Amino acid sequence: MTTTETEVKEETSPEEEAFDYSKVEEIIESLPQKSRRHLIPVLQRVQGAYRYLPEEAMDILIEELKISRAEIYGVISFYPGLMITEPGKYILKVCVGTACFVKGCEIICNKVDEQYHIKVGETDEKKLFTLQTASCMGNCGAAPILVVGDDFYGNLDPEETLSTLGSYEDKE
Amino acid sequence: MSIVAKKICNFKINDQEVTAPEGMPILDAAQRNGFQITNLCFNRKLKPFAACRTCMVEVKDDDKKELVYSCTHPVTDGIEVQINTEETDRYNNACLELLLVEHPLDCPICDKSGICPLQDNTEAMGIYDGRFEIKRRNEPSIKTNPIIEFYLNRCIMCGMCVRVCDETQGVQALDFHRRGYGVVIGTANEEPLDCEFCGQCITVCPTGALNDLTSQARGLAALFKNTYSTCNYCSWGCTVKLETKSGQLIRVEADETLGLGINDGNLCAKGRFGHGFVQSEKRLKVPMANVGGSFQEITWTEAIKTIAERLQSTVNRNGPAAIAGIASEKMTNEEAYLFQKLFRQSLGSNQVTNLQNVRAPYINEFMQKCFDNGIESKPVTELENSDVVLIFNSDLPSEYPVGGNSVRKGVIFTGTDIILANPRKVLFKSEAKNQIELTFSVGSDMALANRLSKIIIDKKLVDLSKAKKAVPNYDDWVKSLDACTSDQAQNHTGLDDAKLTKAAECFARPADRYVLVGNDILENAQGEGALNALLNLCILVHAGGEGSVSVFPPREHCNSQGVNDMGVTPQYLPGYQKVDKKSSAALAKAWGMDTLDLDQKNYAENLFESCISGEIKALFVSGEDPLSSYYKGSLAKDALKTIPFLIVQDSFMTPTAEMADLILPSCSYAEKDGTFTNMTRHIQAIREVVLPEGSARPEFDVFQEIAEALGKPFNTGSIEEVQKEIESVVPEYKDAFKGKGSPQWKPSQTGSKPGFAISEDYKEPKDQKGFPFKLITNNHMFHIGNYTQHCDALNVVSGEQSVQINRKDAQAQKIENGDKIKVESKNHSTILTAEVNGVSTPGTVYISKNWVEHSVNLFRNGEEGYVPVKISKAK
Repeated sequence: MTTTETEVKEETSPEEEAFDYSKVEEIIESLPQKSRRHLIPVLQRVQGAYRYLPEEAMDILIEELKISRAEIYGVISFYPGLMITEPGKYILKVCVGTACFVKGCEIICNKVDEQYHIKVGETDEKKLFTLQTASCMGNCGAAPILVVGDDFYGNLDPEETLSTLGSYEDKE
Repeated sequence: MSIVAKKICNFKINDQEVTAPEGMPILDAAQRNGFQITNLCFNRKLKPFAACRTCMVEVKDDDKKELVYSCTHPVTDGIEVQINTEETDRYNNACLELLLVEHPLDCPICDKSGICPLQDNTEAMGIYDGRFEIKRRNEPSIKTNPIIEFYLNRCIMCGMCVRVCDETQGVQALDFHRRGYGVVIGTANEEPLDCEFCGQCITVCPTGALNDLTSQARGLAALFKNTYSTCNYCSWGCTVKLETKSGQLIRVEADETLGLGINDGNLCAKGRFGHGFVQSEKRLKVPMANVGGSFQEITWTEAIKTIAERLQSTVNRNGPAAIAGIASEKMTNEEAYLFQKLFRQSLGSNQVTNLQNVRAPYINEFMQKCFDNGIESKPVTELENSDVVLIFNSDLPSEYPVGGNSVRKGVIFTGTDIILANPRKVLFKSEAKNQIELTFSVGSDMALANRLSKIIIDKKLVDLSKAKKAVPNYDDWVKSLDACTSDQAQNHTGLDDAKLTKAAECFARPADRYVLVGNDILENAQGEGALNALLNLCILVHAGGEGSVSVFPPREHCNSQGVNDMGVTPQYLPGYQKVDKKSSAALAKAWGMDTLDLDQKNYAENLFESCISGEIKALFVSGEDPLSSYYKGSLAKDALKTIPFLIVQDSFMTPTAEMADLILPSCSYAEKDGTFTNMTRHIQAIREVVLPEGSARPEFDVFQEIAEALGKPFNTGSIEEVQKEIESVVPEYKDAFKGKGSPQWKPSQTGSKPGFAISEDYKEPKDQKGFPFKLITNNHMFHIGNYTQHCDALNVVSGEQSVQINRKDAQAQKIENGDKIKVESKNHSTILTAEVNGVSTPGTVYISKNWVEHSVNLFRNGEEGYVPVKISKAK
């Protein structure tokens, strides 16, 4: 840090021009007041718009909501649901609640890792799947549960994990 | 104190009657009354936080017993507090035990060992056998920045570093990440720390999780030899703890002990990490004589003899006024006093001065005029209790970072309002509810201050009849403001009247006001006019308003104030006595002389011109580098080329020293005893903690020997004797040298001669054809003067010299961050890296003046004011 920095918007350099600022700007404009108290809903909406929290959008939030870089990423790091890297096309949510645990959720995770080489929180090379865990989905009768994107799979035979995911691969 | 008085509560701690202001946390009140309560996360500079849960006490209010955390529970009337009851000990112990599950016991290699609150509390509670299974973390230490090490295994999540970075420093570089079981302290996404590098986080960290990477100190801080001294950089005058081990100065730390110094345990990057120059290999170690263009080592005896002979022969041939001296603004008071005594007593010359006085003699007058009007200014320790702070022409985080810390503390605990007036859009981050930012057109300081006065008068924001009665030339002054209409102010300053009115209302309301004037004001061609306009504004609210006004004049270096107090100026004898028969006679008496004739022409007023014109034949430059530091660099160079005999006393081979006939190695602030007077007139001691490098000697001894060699020795010997003499010659310094406190000297003429300083009309800065930009220059955040360049730690964080350009200007010329830019004035041109930002306002460029390779003072060619420059992309 050389001298005091200012809180004026960064001008965009040619590479950054590709980034679409309009969505984050729209979200900020719609706030009742530009205040850090709206931080978490804003983060959720930005993630809704971009699928994750791109750094360019965070820079705008830092300026507009007058919050520091350390602080905004401190908040993001608390919520596993908030992602700072672009996730795969489908987010896999493996329930690891008690019932799902007993019914072999670990096997599901291992199968995924074997085939796609991703551990919890990671995204595969083709950017197709991102593996996440959920603590309990409230449907223990259907354990074990896997959610792929918006599709729900209950009573999944862990051995059939890969064939289930394969159908998504085929769609590509 | 703020004008809002706090109610005092009477209550009991351990059955003993005590008092404290309402709202103070029990823990703070207990500590101030001599009671100890275990705690790890409390700091009275910061907002209560209650992270460590080890400060529980029992409180009885109306016979209702409660267990509370003493760091957040405020005192109220009539409560009874019990510390260390069986019950509270049980809770506090359990929390400590839980911390010790994870905290490693690597005390022998920990920087905090011996001064560690966790150690102290564990010891105090007698926790030798924890009940829990030990489960230590073993993560590698994080060294992604060159200065501050994160060894998070020792971290106890007290949040002190996060809070001091946010609340005190206003930077917020650190925060909690991955909150929950895996919580850590750090930067966003574990990026390398990029901050103001104040190191406050190191001071407040209770466990050695944050360490000073620049020091070789590792382990057992308690075994270092600690000496309290005063920082030798800016004029804020922070108390520093110099830590030495085996004759080496290994670390500089702050000390948060209540009542110690004026800085409340705060330090900035320069003060903390800028000690590398003291034992630098580049220090000058022996006296040298210039023999036919090359420097040859000589002995001290030869050096002193040559100096005495050459000076004496110059006096004999050309008269005493042909010898002049420039004293460094980093000299101690005692040395400065002897320096002028050497000239006045032993050589009979009155031609002594310092660089600030050559450039802006009006600053001394400004201070005198404040006193004449009864504005004597409160101690700077009261700044945190101010209601309004006007930061005039100062980039506080760079210029007085610790001043900024006090202001932010005021914002949190007193509710201070801030008015920030600057031609650049400098940033001062604080939580102030009311922070008015006046970014005025460059050079229009005077128009701004006058308009504020005019608004106060027109809107009758203060009691005008009271002001009129108190100040004789009130009517004349009010008349002189007739032209300061809102239209004209808008025209000159570029600020609309509604905003100025808001500022005027804020400043004029009943309040304790502090005015911090930055050194940027010297860049203004009408610096004197601007200071006078500001003074008039202060006189108006002082005479007509309620509350108080404290004004601190712009002073750059650690003893800029003291060298002037000691009379190292051609226009004043010690204690700002006029150079006349009466004062000279008094001085002669003190010095054991029959007469002292100082009735000679004032050549030192235009020192460098006098050197060129041949009036001055010999120049003694003590600890100063005019070639790099004087604002007209080429003038200083011409002068030093012309002067027949030049003595330079310095710690390093500066460009000025390279032109000398004789070089004397001098001592740094860690190698000598004495006192500095800061800009707010606090007199504080510096101490010798290491032996001088090579055969360098303190200026104090050298001046004495020269006087002896001249056959006119001083009637004083030791530093104590000189201090005694200063006390008798400068009555304001009476009792200033005793003890370890920071006494503030009080002017004797307070309120004796009130009067507005009516000066010339405001003139808009002239534009020069072909040079559309105005150059502003001042000290860099990590540099001041010429010593910091010899501190590797500061060099590595400050990076390369850059030219700051406003985004719009940069866009117009297709300049991008990092481009090489040619900056040209009529006189000089250089190529620098562009830093495109919004701090520089359109039409201005800013270059820090601390890099010798690109001396900014060469841009100027004799003219006053902001230097017109042009910029273009370098080919």
